Amino acid sequence: MSTMTSRRPLVRRLPWAWIFGLGIPLLIFIRIFYLVSVTEQRDLAFFVGAAVQSLQLGSLYALIALGYTMVYGIIRLINFAHGEVFMVGAFTSYFLFSGAPFALPWALLWAAVLGWGVMFVLNLWRGRMNDPVVLGGGLLAFASFAAVLSATSISWWAALVMSMLSTGVLGVVIDRIAYRPLRGAPRISLLITAIAVSFFLQNTGLIVFTRNQTPFRPETQWTQFLQFDVMGGTVYTSRLMFLIPVLTAILVIGLTLFVTRTRLGKAMRASAQDAEVAQMMGVNVNRVIATTFLLGSMLAAAGGVLWGLNFGSLNQPAVLGILPGIKAFAAAVIGGIGSLPGAVIGGVLLGFLENFMTALFPRTPTFPGITEYKDTFAFALLIIVLLIRPSGIVGEDLSEKV
Amino acid sequence: MSESRTRLRNLLLTLGAGAIVAVILALVDGSGGAKLNDTLALFAIWGIAAVSLNLVNGTAGILSLGHHGFMLIGGYVTALLILPGDARERIASSARSEMTPFTLGLSVENWFDALGLTALTGPDGLWARFLVALFIGGFVAMLFGLIVGIPSLRLKGDYLAIVTFGFGEIIRLTASTSLFSPFTNGALGYSGVPNDFGKSLWWTFALLGLTLFVMTKFKFSSYGRALQAIREDEIAAEAMGVGLARHKVMAFAISAFFAGIAGGLWVSYLSAARLDFFLFFLTFFFLVAISVGGTGSYTGVLLGVAVVVFVQQYGDPLEKTYSLSVWFGLLGLLILAAGIGGGLYRRQRRMRPVWHPLVVILAVIGGVTLLVAIVGQNWAPLQGTFQAFGMRRILLALLLIVIMALRPEGIMGRAEFSWAWLLRERKDQPSDEERAQDAWLSNPELNREGGATAGDDERDADVPRVGRDRGDTRASAPDDPLPRALLDEDSPGAHPLLERGHKARKGDDPRYGTAHDPSGGAESTDRSDDDSDERKDGEA
Repeated sequence: MSTMTSRRPLVRRLPWAWIFGLGIPLLIFIRIFYLVSVTEQRDLAFFVGAAVQSLQLGSLYALIALGYTMVYGIIRLINFAHGEVFMVGAFTSYFLFSGAPFALPWALLWAAVLGWGVMFVLNLWRGRMNDPVVLGGGLLAFASFAAVLSATSISWWAALVMSMLSTGVLGVVIDRIAYRPLRGAPRISLLITAIAVSFFLQNTGLIVFTRNQTPFRPETQWTQFLQFDVMGGTVYTSRLMFLIPVLTAILVIGLTLFVTRTRLGKAMRASAQDAEVAQMMGVNVNRVIATTFLLGSMLAAAGGVLWGLNFGSLNQPAVLGILPGIKAFAAAVIGGIGSLPGAVIGGVLLGFLENFMTALFPRTPTFPGITEYKDTFAFALLIIVLLIRPSGIVGEDLSEKV
Repeated sequence: MSESRTRLRNLLLTLGAGAIVAVILALVDGSGGAKLNDTLALFAIWGIAAVSLNLVNGTAGILSLGHHGFMLIGGYVTALLILPGDARERIASSARSEMTPFTLGLSVENWFDALGLTALTGPDGLWARFLVALFIGGFVAMLFGLIVGIPSLRLKGDYLAIVTFGFGEIIRLTASTSLFSPFTNGALGYSGVPNDFGKSLWWTFALLGLTLFVMTKFKFSSYGRALQAIREDEIAAEAMGVGLARHKVMAFAISAFFAGIAGGLWVSYLSAARLDFFLFFLTFFFLVAISVGGTGSYTGVLLGVAVVVFVQQYGDPLEKTYSLSVWFGLLGLLILAAGIGGGLYRRQRRMRPVWHPLVVILAVIGGVTLLVAIVGQNWAPLQGTFQAFGMRRILLALLLIVIMALRPEGIMGRAEFSWAWLLRERKDQPSDEERAQDAWLSNPELNREGGATAGDDERDADVPRVGRDRGDTRASAPDDPLPRALLDEDSPGAHPLLERGHKARKGDDPRYGTAHDPSGGAESTDRSDDDSDERKDGEA
């Protein structure tokens, strides 16, 4: 764009990175100081609690944002359906660990479908069906899903693993059915398909799962309350303040090791740089994309389970998918879409911003507070970042070139 | 047939078709079938919205996902301005009302009173007040369209789509906040909006006709052509002197205006204004209509709207209560179909094992499930009933996925309905004049002296080089009877057709050749003229 290039020197003269990087934290600290010591509306412990909460929320956003950023990095698709995949992951784990056990025919049917899905995914990597890994994996998945679905209750981490597995399969199947026929098509067509998939999953979720707010309380010690004193005040939190960030960190480190240390990860990075050339060099790009969807969906499912633990309930499927999804996408854009560390940074940053916005401007008799703008804030942030700096914090410039 | 006569004929045919539509509407209106009446009204309202979205999505090639936001604005403004007095009193006396006396006083009736137009203030003048309110709603929506469009249209492609989606959602989310709730009455909204207009076929179809008229005029005006140029290639369009930002913002604003009008009718159709009437599903439905019907074609979009409205209005058998064993069997049938479909797909794509084990396993799972459902109808675990709310939306989503995979340009593509097409007037066939030119160009006698590979191969020289390079499929056959007669003339240089082409075009407008060069099939006549010009220069 000519207008952009002509304006660019002016932008460069001002050190925006420094202004934002130091100025906004400074403003926040001044505001905290004002609230704590001048008006005494809040004590410092409140802000420590908010920071802990922000870290939890930010980790969840980061887990979802990783899926967006990986898919965008490789096929340049804003995977609109990723939020819905997250929703499916959350609800799958809910149905795995709780509720009445499935009746035998339903349990067998779902187990068979999921076992087939696992075989499908394994076959993508192994390349042939007559392979002990493919057959064994499929049979194992069938047996374990059948057992889990007909059991009265299983532990939440087993539900987490199972949910990650089935959601990963769902991601691969979505890619195979909806996105792969459009590989050479314009990106807008791909985006429309993604919107259609998202709409499909939303409404299927409303039918298959529930139409209501669902309590999400597995039997676990992790949700127990926890309180400690900070500077005269008490911080109320739960053991999740350890679980969520640590689990997120483990998953992110695992993903980073996968991407940097394995052959498939190397192929992934190559495809992200230039899919065509990677294909010429012998990389099976379709397999790489399927892997990307598998990993992204698995992380989203993990995020879904932790989301349920964090909030104690799941919103109805049509809302649970879209809002965290769009916020996580905003996080991915803030961090720099296409970059893995960017997604984590953006997620944590968005978690902090969202929580501190409401904490910094409390409700007073004359001022109604800004809690009602909480969802608007994520959209507004997304728009502002896209308009001002589409490349995000760490991303390279991905704007379309001639 | 001369051009003016063709135009007159088309006008008469259009008027006749309009009269037939009016007769059908009168019949439906008189028969009193509420469902059919509602369906047609819904078709017209959603048609207005979808056609206006198509101006942005199809003609200008900007994927906009914020249309429901503009509809919301138009709908709320219209509803507020025509809300009858008793509904206002109800809101004012309600404890949960969030409106102020000022916003409750915003009414076209009060304005007419103040202006002394007492004839239009009673129940008899409702139509005038609705019309005024509708257009004010449209203009406010247009204003928001400008506010949204001016910053966001700097972006392109999928980022722009996300930004418009964000704006659409922001409009809906902020409408219920304390900042705007005096105007929108928060989450309660308004009830008691008169539905004399949204359910009236005359009003809705008249406005649909107006929208279509404006949109087609706009599409074939210079602005519309500039938008199509932007859709095809932004950089080329900019190089040709098309102001990108100006055209895009204008398209966005016009689209928002008609979205506002559709919103006003939608509110009147539902006789209430609430925030959950304006969810993203509206934009999604219009997107389905546009993609199914044909991106960029208004007639195609109307076809798509008909499909969507039909599914929406007559798809309720899908959402009835059925027994659990029926669902089990249906699921099995679906899986079986997926397996068989996978096999057929593999055969069509010539993948090596057509019946790949995975496909077979899927089909077997589906078959066994279906069998169990049939055999075990009285089996205890399959007893019970289940109702699938939302099946219609799933169906529409699937339709969109399938259309995007199989026929991304939609049913109609970019073609518009035209009387010439209906009457089998083949515009894509070359005219006699063009045939003569092509034949002259493909004459082997002439090519032999001009080309460097003279007389190399008789058959090769038959094909005109220019036409072949451009991928022009219209190159005439060498044994065309007509050109022989023309070729009998002595000197090809003195051919009257070529004289005309040379003088009229190149001398007058030096930019002519470049301006039309990259265009698609639309200007095929002009292009063949161009080709002959170039060819002649080479010969001379």
